[in-house]
Amino acid sequence: MLALSLQIVLNGLTTGVVYVLMALGFTLIFGIMRVVNFAHGELYMAGAFAVTVLSGGLSWPHLPAILASVVLVGLLGAALQRLLFSRVIGNEFNCMILALAVSICLQSLALIVFGPDEIGAPRPVTGVVHLGPAVIPADRLFVGAVAIVLLVAFYLFLNKTRLGLMMRAVAQDPEMAALHGVRPNLIHTAAFAVGSMLAGAAGALMAPIYTVFPYMGELPMMKAFIVVVLGGLGSLPGAVIGGLMLGIVESAFATMLGSTVAALVAFAVVVAAIAVRPEGLMGRRA
Amino acid sequence: MKVKLTSACGLLLAGAVVVGLGPSSALAQETLKFGVVGPMTGPGAQWGLAAAGGVQIAAKEVNDKGGLKVGDKTYRIEVIPYDEQYKAAVAVSAMQRLVNQDGVKFVFGPVSSAGTLAVMDIVKDTKTIGITGAYSSKALNKSNPYMFRVYSVASDFAEPMVKWLKKNLPATVKRVAIINPNDETGWDSDKLLSELYKKHDYTVVGKELYERSVRDYIPILTKLLAEKPDLIDVGTAPPGSAGLIVRQARELGYKGHIVKIGGSGPRQIIEGAGKEAAEGVINYLPSDEQNPGYQRLSDAFKAMTGNQMNPLLVNWYDGAYILMAAIQAAGTVSDTDKVRQSFAKVLPHKSVLGGTIRLGGESMYGIDNAFLTPNYIGVIKNGDVVTVGTAE
Repeated sequence: MLALSLQIVLNGLTTGVVYVLMALGFTLIFGIMRVVNFAHGELYMAGAFAVTVLSGGLSWPHLPAILASVVLVGLLGAALQRLLFSRVIGNEFNCMILALAVSICLQSLALIVFGPDEIGAPRPVTGVVHLGPAVIPADRLFVGAVAIVLLVAFYLFLNKTRLGLMMRAVAQDPEMAALHGVRPNLIHTAAFAVGSMLAGAAGALMAPIYTVFPYMGELPMMKAFIVVVLGGLGSLPGAVIGGLMLGIVESAFATMLGSTVAALVAFAVVVAAIAVRPEGLMGRRA
Repeated sequence: MKVKLTSACGLLLAGAVVVGLGPSSALAQETLKFGVVGPMTGPGAQWGLAAAGGVQIAAKEVNDKGGLKVGDKTYRIEVIPYDEQYKAAVAVSAMQRLVNQDGVKFVFGPVSSAGTLAVMDIVKDTKTIGITGAYSSKALNKSNPYMFRVYSVASDFAEPMVKWLKKNLPATVKRVAIINPNDETGWDSDKLLSELYKKHDYTVVGKELYERSVRDYIPILTKLLAEKPDLIDVGTAPPGSAGLIVRQARELGYKGHIVKIGGSGPRQIIEGAGKEAAEGVINYLPSDEQNPGYQRLSDAFKAMTGNQMNPLLVNWYDGAYILMAAIQAAGTVSDTDKVRQSFAKVLPHKSVLGGTIRLGGESMYGIDNAFLTPNYIGVIKNGDVVTVGTAE
């Protein structure tokens, strides 16, 4: 039983850190621009395809391929913000519809370019690692380690850099930030790029774990949504706690009672969170 | 990696190509429409693309030879494929569009069981000939004589495969775990396989049903592997999902046998699992890849879409020729009652691979509306699929 429990927690944590990456980008974009970015899953998909092309098609080493994919998805996010979202910032409903339209366009584009087949991406490491009585695939451990490095880098970026400080200032009070010389347009673009990079990183990391196909972003997007509702929309610590919690809860219920019950529980938790604490675990009360 | 305009778009465009090009256009006078309803996108896309591809290749061949002669008229075949996304509601929309807007009387599909069960009334009420790919035993029944099935299903080949396993795997293989999707297709497969393994003295130590959207099978595998199975059957899991199940099971240290008695797609299993993890996986195959007929169809599909062919395409290709033969035998493209009665006249039919396709099903479904196609058993070896036997 101890071995099974340990296995459940390890499975949950390795899944949870990827949920955290997805949710952080999603909640960052919402926190700063009030955009519910339904295209976030497609940025995850773009990261996965980018790493598959770079490491599979062009035979790049895996880490440079991940970094390049993250940068490419960041640039895609910045372009989307400058060309499209900047025109409707302030109107949450229009932003939501625009995000849905972008999501469908990106899916269709991937379908035209890559086709509907599920593609396997090269794996950076193979084999398994034994942690006491539990077993963890080496590639998942690699994903978990890189994700933690990225989370630390993101924390340092937000708290120790001038751009991060400006982002937090805009998220807290955009008018006051503007009065102090912060240019909201620039911050919006930067935040969208950083949020996209986090989604791209999650996609690039998970590509070798799963298969890559145009609709692969739908489920992670749904998970990101659950995590931010659970943790508090716009709350970065909430995204971390929510992501890890969801990963472990899903792992436990899927192992003990099956994936159908796990999906049911995930959404039941969201319903309960909305009913009991609408602002989420770490969100601010409006 | 090549950037290419691939399957879904290629096949959707190919419908027009089939009609518009070739020497047939000038000779054929009227158009006969065949609909296809199958998943062209998502995890089951390989099966839908196989359905559309098989029908389109057959239609193109007939059109290139001048069209289909029915009575004193010659018809160009037009193929109209729609994506059902493996969702019953979408399959219903597609079928309604084909029947009510496109004026189609002959439909290949739906491919999914849920989609097929959802369109049963439409097929019956509009007297449309449906040729489904559904595995569900409920897809055929004597109250709906318009629905046919294009290939043998698990209930036809599962027992021969279990017998093959009994004969060819070590006697120490006793404990079986079964994984299936949590829907009509999966429930049927779960029930059938459980009964068969028990009947042949295996112990079913675990059964899991998963949601089709799931990509992480580690939790359910953790539970199943705790029961120490000697053999895992991935049943009707789509090939891409089956590939991930195989890989994740191996990653968790599972060293036993893996078999797939259900929807075929060994190439996609290799793609999803990787060559090493897929080594030794035993597959049901609807066709023999070493056959020259298979190679010809594979080349035609590759030329049309740029993609590798799923083995099920052979059945849809044969099915298209069987339908065209039935229409010719009936001498009408509008009286579907005459056409459905003609299937008994044109079957048995020689498959493109050389085997014989018979009409059957009465003992199981109460009606002879199943095309009983030859079945093979393949094993993945060094990233390739080797046919090792038949499941007749």
